[in-house]
Amino acid sequence: MDTTSNTPSEPQIFDSLRLELRRGCLIVAALAQLRSEHYGYTLRKALADQGLAIEESTLYPLLRRLETQGLLTSQWREEDKRNKRFYKLSAQGETILTHLLAEWNSINDSLHKILKTPTEA
Amino acid sequence: MNLLERYLQAIGQYLPPATRQDILNELRVNLEAQIDDRAEELNRPLTDPELSQLLQSHGRPEVVAARYLPQRSLIGPTIFPSYLLTLRKAFPLVVLIYVIAQAISLVAEPQQGDLLRGIFRSIVQIVPTLLIFWASVTIVFAVIEFAHTRPGFDTRWLPSSKWDPTKLPALHDATNPKPKSFATRVADLGFHILWILYVLAIPAHPFLIIGPSDWYLRQLGNAAFAPAWATFYVLLLVLLGFQLITRILALNPVFDRQQPVLDLITKALGVTGTAFLASMKTYFIAASPSVNQAVLANVNHWMGVSFRILLVIVSIQLLIDAWKLLRPTLRVKSVLLF
Repeated sequence: MDTTSNTPSEPQIFDSLRLELRRGCLIVAALAQLRSEHYGYTLRKALADQGLAIEESTLYPLLRRLETQGLLTSQWREEDKRNKRFYKLSAQGETILTHLLAEWNSINDSLHKILKTPTEA
Repeated sequence: MNLLERYLQAIGQYLPPATRQDILNELRVNLEAQIDDRAEELNRPLTDPELSQLLQSHGRPEVVAARYLPQRSLIGPTIFPSYLLTLRKAFPLVVLIYVIAQAISLVAEPQQGDLLRGIFRSIVQIVPTLLIFWASVTIVFAVIEFAHTRPGFDTRWLPSSKWDPTKLPALHDATNPKPKSFATRVADLGFHILWILYVLAIPAHPFLIIGPSDWYLRQLGNAAFAPAWATFYVLLLVLLGFQLITRILALNPVFDRQQPVLDLITKALGVTGTAFLASMKTYFIAASPSVNQAVLANVNHWMGVSFRILLVIVSIQLLIDAWKLLRPTLRVKSVLLF
């Protein structure tokens, strides 16, 4: 029986794993970036400028979800003759971000240790 | 900008009224900023095809709207294992209860139409019964799914969260066949009940047993079954009753060890029934003077021979099975003696 016909190709597997790997990191990145106030579009640009491009359709709903969870605060304000919704990290978001960064650093350190350890034959 | 408004309108169709306007306002601002940026890069307003391309890259309206909505699966990943476990555990029991209920109904209630039609109807009706069972379990778990997302819901009572490693089944012996699954045991019991039902229906519906033999009986003239068959029928019911008990016991894997002994007793009862058949001298009797006596005697003789051959075969088989069952015990005793 041919078991390879339904197996995804290497680029498909990579894309899927990359997406999983990035998902959590993007939340941390968005929270970190929102230590200074942004509205949706400028946040996306700021993240993209630092190498973390994220789709609008993913980022904008994410901001609302994080706000519902109390990690962000938002307010409508006029800027350049347009009403925009500005987001900022809340006090609770600040605490959670600190914990998440500690966790991320711990994972990063562990991964480095694993990569440095010579593999057994 | 007409295209942008149409795009936002299309997204709005899939959003809940409570948050629709707020989400659309925010989306509009973000998309307008993106359009402005692009226009600044090009140093001119965007053409309709360029705007269309930009919106296309933003995503289909229904997909964009779906991302603003809470997860909408009927049964989510937290509850799904419990849902599946409940279906798997309860399915054989539902089938068993259905078979028992139908069997009781077929035996107890006077049949409208013939018995075969009743059995066929019972088999067909199991499909809607199982669909109702599946739908009911799904609705219950959909309610649990809805409730468990609310604060304070305790998931400890869900079947998948309660288990004891010490109650896991023992390791399978590589030399022994894999034990039967619960579904197989239930199916065995269900089919046995149907078989008993069939046998019980024979006195009222003799065609069930005569079937193709009807032609041969007609060849004999006007022959009938000998009265001794009534005794054999009682023996058969005893055998079926004993098998019913063994199959009920087999539902519990605790009795797996006793199963070979019970099987041997069942076979011994089967041999007894065959011995009775072999001892019968008359199988068919003349029901009217028109019966061809020579043919009838010939038929009775060869039926007797057939049952005696069958008796020899099943007796040898019983002895072999008994030897296989007792051999390990005898070997241990002989080792202890030496």
